[in-house]
Amino acid sequence: MTAFLIANMAPLMFAALVVFLLLGYPVAFALAANGIVFGLLGIELGLLSPALFGALPERIWGVMSNDTLLAVPFFTFMGLILERSGMAEDLLETIGQLFGAVRGGLAYAVVFVGALLAATTGVVAASVISMGLISLPIMLRYGYDRRFAAGTIAASGTLAQIIPPSLVLIIMADQLGRSVGDMYAGAFIPGIILAGLYASYTLLVSFVKPAWVPALPPEARTMREPDGTTGNRSLLVLFILSTIVAIAVWHLYYNPYKPEAGTDVRLVVCVSAGTAVAFLAAVINKLTGMGLLSRLAERVVFVLIPPLALIFLVLGTIFLGVATPTEGGAMGALGALVMAVGRRRLNWKLLRQSMDTTAKLTTFVVFILIGARVFSLTFYGVEGHKWVEHLLSALPGGQLGFLIVVNILVFVLAFFLDFFELAFIIIPLLAPVADKLGIDLIWFGVLLAVNMQTSFMHPPFGFALFYLRSVAPAKEYTDKVTGKRMAPVTTGQIYWGAVPYVVIQLIMVSLVIAFPQMVMVYKDDAPINDPSKVEIQIPSNYSAQPYPVAPGKDGAAPGPAADPLEQALQDQENADKAGDALQDDFKQK
Amino acid sequence: MKALLALSRAIDTLNDRIGRAVYWLVLVAVLISAGNAIVRKAFDMSSNAYLEIQWYLFSAVFLLCAGYTLLKNEHIRIDVIAGRFSRRTQTWIDVLGTIFFLLPLVALILYESVPWFLRTWQSQEVSPSAGGLILWPAKILLPIGFSLLGLQGLSELIKRIAFLQGLIPDPGEKQVAKTAEEELAEEILRARGDKA
Repeated sequence: MTAFLIANMAPLMFAALVVFLLLGYPVAFALAANGIVFGLLGIELGLLSPALFGALPERIWGVMSNDTLLAVPFFTFMGLILERSGMAEDLLETIGQLFGAVRGGLAYAVVFVGALLAATTGVVAASVISMGLISLPIMLRYGYDRRFAAGTIAASGTLAQIIPPSLVLIIMADQLGRSVGDMYAGAFIPGIILAGLYASYTLLVSFVKPAWVPALPPEARTMREPDGTTGNRSLLVLFILSTIVAIAVWHLYYNPYKPEAGTDVRLVVCVSAGTAVAFLAAVINKLTGMGLLSRLAERVVFVLIPPLALIFLVLGTIFLGVATPTEGGAMGALGALVMAVGRRRLNWKLLRQSMDTTAKLTTFVVFILIGARVFSLTFYGVEGHKWVEHLLSALPGGQLGFLIVVNILVFVLAFFLDFFELAFIIIPLLAPVADKLGIDLIWFGVLLAVNMQTSFMHPPFGFALFYLRSVAPAKEYTDKVTGKRMAPVTTGQIYWGAVPYVVIQLIMVSLVIAFPQMVMVYKDDAPINDPSKVEIQIPSNYSAQPYPVAPGKDGAAPGPAADPLEQALQDQENADKAGDALQDDFKQK
Repeated sequence: MKALLALSRAIDTLNDRIGRAVYWLVLVAVLISAGNAIVRKAFDMSSNAYLEIQWYLFSAVFLLCAGYTLLKNEHIRIDVIAGRFSRRTQTWIDVLGTIFFLLPLVALILYESVPWFLRTWQSQEVSPSAGGLILWPAKILLPIGFSLLGLQGLSELIKRIAFLQGLIPDPGEKQVAKTAEEELAEEILRARGDKA
């Protein structure tokens, strides 16, 4: 019996963890308790040093003094203020008007606004609720297919998980020991491509099942010129003008004067220049009343400016290397406050509520991490990491085999677990194996982030579906505009609507595996076309590269460790420090 | 039991007050961090003290709000299976979880962190980075935070046992009048109602 226990501590511990978690007691404490129970057992069996738990305060201290996690409350607070600032409503109404007359137009508007909200508020629940209350009734009114409408709204809301500045990516970066800035840069293009795939699905539907996505009748367009025209032409002219300015900056400034500037820097500056021109035109038009622009054009510019300005303030400064992600989060939070004051939406109640929710979310997130650290103290002590590594590295097919198995595993787990649990429990086990197989950890992180996005869409527990259910009409109702009786949206329709988008998500996972280049742009190198060559150049945090041995927090340098537990812990500490070192490195840029 | 319930109410009030006071530190941290970033760029000056105070505040938020978050029942759970149990079974799980999961963790952390804090206190150790802050005010947050968490665990235990005895209504319900999501939905509906 004792021999069996000693030989199988790691698998037993993992099995017990599953049971502990499924009991439904808060995850943070169940995780920690698992670590304590097996730690005591290990000490009793002589597997672990009796001084094992003496390392706990320093491990929690490592969480406290973590700059990366500081971004979590900042971005949460920013999102909570922003979701109540009325920005989402303005965007949905105006962009809906703009695209509505096209077949599938409202769906494009939902995807487009979903992506914009993702890059600013980054709160799935808020996006889904806003779109469910504003866009869904209009879609139903004009005869959109219910399943299609519900699925599009739920999926577009989850874009907030993959498009920076998402919390998922911050925590992923922390757990993988990489910089948040790199993670954001790596996730940016896949996020845009994913939004593109959603829009392509709408396009496909508009050809195959045109009845599902009717164009809005002309009378649905309320924003018109005095002479009855739509004002589209004026907007088109303005758009072309802005594009010309952006391209001009690229070719006439960067190419001759700063050819060394990276693509992301150029992109940020050129887009900002183009937007500034449009904004200037709209302001002049409004102030002088010259009628240079149509009402529609002016309105579109004014609703797009706040989100674009915030994106520049947060992501732009991070990509330009002007601000660290933590500073970007704080600037974004301040920007959101200023905007909410400007729109007269900020009051004491909202401020207190936002701080309250931020404090509670930060607490439960960090406590899961603390619980995971208590767990991993014992789990590494009984060489659980070697067990996991052994299990996973024995898979056939090398890198590809590993990625496929891991993605299937995460996809299945995402039915039951949400992303915080996945990130804190599963990622630390997988990352060292991925690293040993030569997989770039940013690529790995983005891949898993796209996969975990499905955890919001899986029926029946997906959170996006849950929030959509809470705001979609559950009973028969009378439409305000047409006065017709409308059938409710059933839960089954919401679930079925999500299915095509889960499939799209899986397609995206395969695309990210097949084309790592879309993530690798974070390195700002020349385009790399051969994935098999990509991995070789990657410095490894966990294994190959000798760790920068920094002095410990107490001033004592960690010496060579004799027993395997200390070795394992030191490995982990060092991995953390290597992560910190990278962060510092990033800051200095 | 009456005395215990009075104790539980006192603990709830304590953690509620602390939580409501401490969440303001979120705003303070935002302002310091944004201010520091602006000053650093605009005047090219910065001090490690400003960087360190940010994570002192961050630590204060999550450690001092640990009990508050437990009081509001917002520590995240996996309820895929547990959600199907009856309320009584779930309450039993909470009782046993508090006794066997939460309280031992609190005891262990207190046992390890008090001497750890005292060492820093006696040596008046200062952060190794230039211009760094003195360390003990951050380190003391760990024993204080876990004490508050332990107290709240005790209070939750009392309330749940009282519920099992039929003395009080179910304490396991989320204790917020309205969630942030409900507020958002109402606000959007209100704004749209005005327009229509």
